[in-house]
Amino acid sequence: VLADRHKWVAVAVLAAATFAIDLVYLARRRTIPMKFLVPGTIFLIGFQVIPVAYTISVAFTNYSTGHILVKSEAIQGIEQNTLAQADNGKSYTMAPAHDASGKLALVLVDEDTNKTYIGTKNGLKPIPRGSVSITGGLITRAQGYELLRGQALVQSDKELSALVVPVGGNKGIQAEGLDTAVVLEPTFRYDAKRDEFVRLKDNAVYTDNGRGSFVNAKGEDLEPGWHTGVGLRNFGRIIHSDLVRKPFVRVLIWTFAYALLTVLLSFALGLFLAITLDKAGMPLQRLYRSALVIPYAIPGFLSLLVWRGLLNDQFGVVNHILPGGLDRPWLFDANWAKVSIILVSLWLTFPYFFLVSLGALQSIPKELTEAARVDGAGAWQVFRQVTLPLLLVAVAPLMIASFAFNFNNFNNIYLLTGGGPAAGESVAGATDILITYTFKLAFSAGKGADYGLASAVAILIFFIVASISAFGFARSKALENLA
Amino acid sequence: MTEQAVERPVAVARRPSPRRRWAADWWRHVIAIIAIVFALFPVAYVVSAAFNADQSLSSSTLIPRKVTTSNFEELFTNKREKARTTPTGESHYGRWYVNSLLVAGFTAIATVLLGALAAYAFSRFRFRGRRMGMLTLLLIQMFPQLLAIVAIYLIVLRVGDVFHFLGLNSPTALIVVYLGGAMGVNTWLMKGFFDTIPAELDESARVDGATPAQVFWGVVLPLAAPVLAVIALISFVSTINEYAIASVILQSTDKYTLPLGLFQYIDQAYGNHWGPFSAGVLMAAVPAILLFTFLQRFIVQGLTAGSVKG
Repeated sequence: VLADRHKWVAVAVLAAATFAIDLVYLARRRTIPMKFLVPGTIFLIGFQVIPVAYTISVAFTNYSTGHILVKSEAIQGIEQNTLAQADNGKSYTMAPAHDASGKLALVLVDEDTNKTYIGTKNGLKPIPRGSVSITGGLITRAQGYELLRGQALVQSDKELSALVVPVGGNKGIQAEGLDTAVVLEPTFRYDAKRDEFVRLKDNAVYTDNGRGSFVNAKGEDLEPGWHTGVGLRNFGRIIHSDLVRKPFVRVLIWTFAYALLTVLLSFALGLFLAITLDKAGMPLQRLYRSALVIPYAIPGFLSLLVWRGLLNDQFGVVNHILPGGLDRPWLFDANWAKVSIILVSLWLTFPYFFLVSLGALQSIPKELTEAARVDGAGAWQVFRQVTLPLLLVAVAPLMIASFAFNFNNFNNIYLLTGGGPAAGESVAGATDILITYTFKLAFSAGKGADYGLASAVAILIFFIVASISAFGFARSKALENLA
Repeated sequence: MTEQAVERPVAVARRPSPRRRWAADWWRHVIAIIAIVFALFPVAYVVSAAFNADQSLSSSTLIPRKVTTSNFEELFTNKREKARTTPTGESHYGRWYVNSLLVAGFTAIATVLLGALAAYAFSRFRFRGRRMGMLTLLLIQMFPQLLAIVAIYLIVLRVGDVFHFLGLNSPTALIVVYLGGAMGVNTWLMKGFFDTIPAELDESARVDGATPAQVFWGVVLPLAAPVLAVIALISFVSTINEYAIASVILQSTDKYTLPLGLFQYIDQAYGNHWGPFSAGVLMAAVPAILLFTFLQRFIVQGLTAGSVKG
């Protein structure tokens, strides 16, 4: 059903898009600019605009492991999950088989009455007793059906365990093991009018709690749940729930510290090297420059993986060449992992600031610095009051851009430490930044996926980065006016 | 240090002998060499390990005791036998390399084309919604694709139900997702460059009877070739580097791109795979470094214009 529905949506979308494109390309004249804009726009809408909109909408839902389905599917799921074998339930001798068209069916022999049936998902159908042979309590042949054995049986294992043969009164026959089947009876009743489940045993009522689950008065819920709007709950969890807030705040602080330190240290080192090498007629200058830029030319993921190896505490070269006593658990201790991250980020980023500082230094007219010297300024004074302000006009916007970039620098964290080492209960490790935290919330194996919370965090990241960028724009304009 | 710096203008004026220059600037050379050691020691270790007969990390020395190319061979031999005993760490290096080249290559070319088409419209035509369009583009691009990764995953998952070639584990889906970010900054950069190509050139072509499409392919694109090449390269490199989205979409080892493959290859067993891993890094890095060296001048200009690399 699901796939069918998707197919219709897909067909409708395709038809509408084709029609719109035809309109643009077949109509003459007025749509000429559109012809050039349409191709890029299709991708932009499909994989940028829609995902952003979808992210926002998911952020207000409880979409997560256990809440993947829509409500109607969840109700079906609960009905199936709560079927149970009755105390004096009937059982059948059973053999899974394929009918002539290759569909899965159960060959059933009622152990009390010795009647034979074929069970499919459509129901139970009596067949002549003579068409089935039984030897030693096992069905060995069924006329018109091919019994599943060996490999074929293994392959249809999943299908088999999902097959429930309806026999009226909400009861069903389901395979139990490979040669028996039992009658299952519902233990719960769904009341569609009042939208609640009732446990037949004691009439306990499970109602829709508005957050994607049926729960009883004691707060016990029925699995599976479904995904539904929960308003600002995900954002509320970030503020109120200790389990979410503590790791979130820790990650937020480290994200700022990491991005800020990376930019400032890289800029400082890059500028220092640029000043050192910016000397007219210095021998070997070009060679030094090319060598220093190499870390920048290597694709980042390769460098990061290499560093991960070099810093390995057991096999790593770094501990190998450091004199005894200085070896450290570079990646496996919370604090040293942070040091490693900053160190490697510095290694990756300083060549960029070296290059731009060198360019900026060379574009500062020599007359200005010389004039300052003539007026009696010392070297440090010239640097602080003439060179640095002029340099910052050019470099400050790049620093802000680099800050925004490193704020979301997934690779630098994930490929080096994987966000680890683990810190407490949360998926957030000691060196996780917001973006890797989001990624882990959604995709980390083992602890379950929480798409809703992940999307909420993603939206918060967006607002943080957007305000930094806005600040950057305003700031760089102010600096330009100054110059 | 202070004295040297003060002396600088004088020194330049006098053009001293080379020996005096060395003497005065020795500290600059010392700093440069320290910085280069910091910058290049990982590179040196990778190069040495790639050719070192000793495969493990701990026993590696900077100068290999025995030079070999077996590390390279090991990457390309698909050892079923060994894979059975150690399930992780099987190498499909050749596949990963080709996958990466294909994904990044297609993405780069299509990015340039889509970006250039849009930039041409914004640069050459005056139409309703032009300003709005450009501003919207800038605004949308403020929300990086990476942040929407959950939504992208869920969308690709659903789309795959209907169109299998655009579903999970399909490189085509990955390329298409990357192209969502093709417009945006690139369009702005290219529009800026197209604006500097004199409009008289198009007009004379138009007078000769060329359609707008002919002007685009025949006049504007060839003139903008250097800029297009640089944008293609930047897009290529950032696509090659991309880990997160690729890891969510591509799921079987043979479909992996290099970052996913090498990460998985080395994740469990740094100690044992260090030699072949280094060889793999070397083969991936050398073309990148060569390209960078060739295009360095253009790239540095592009960088100062505001783009940032990962």
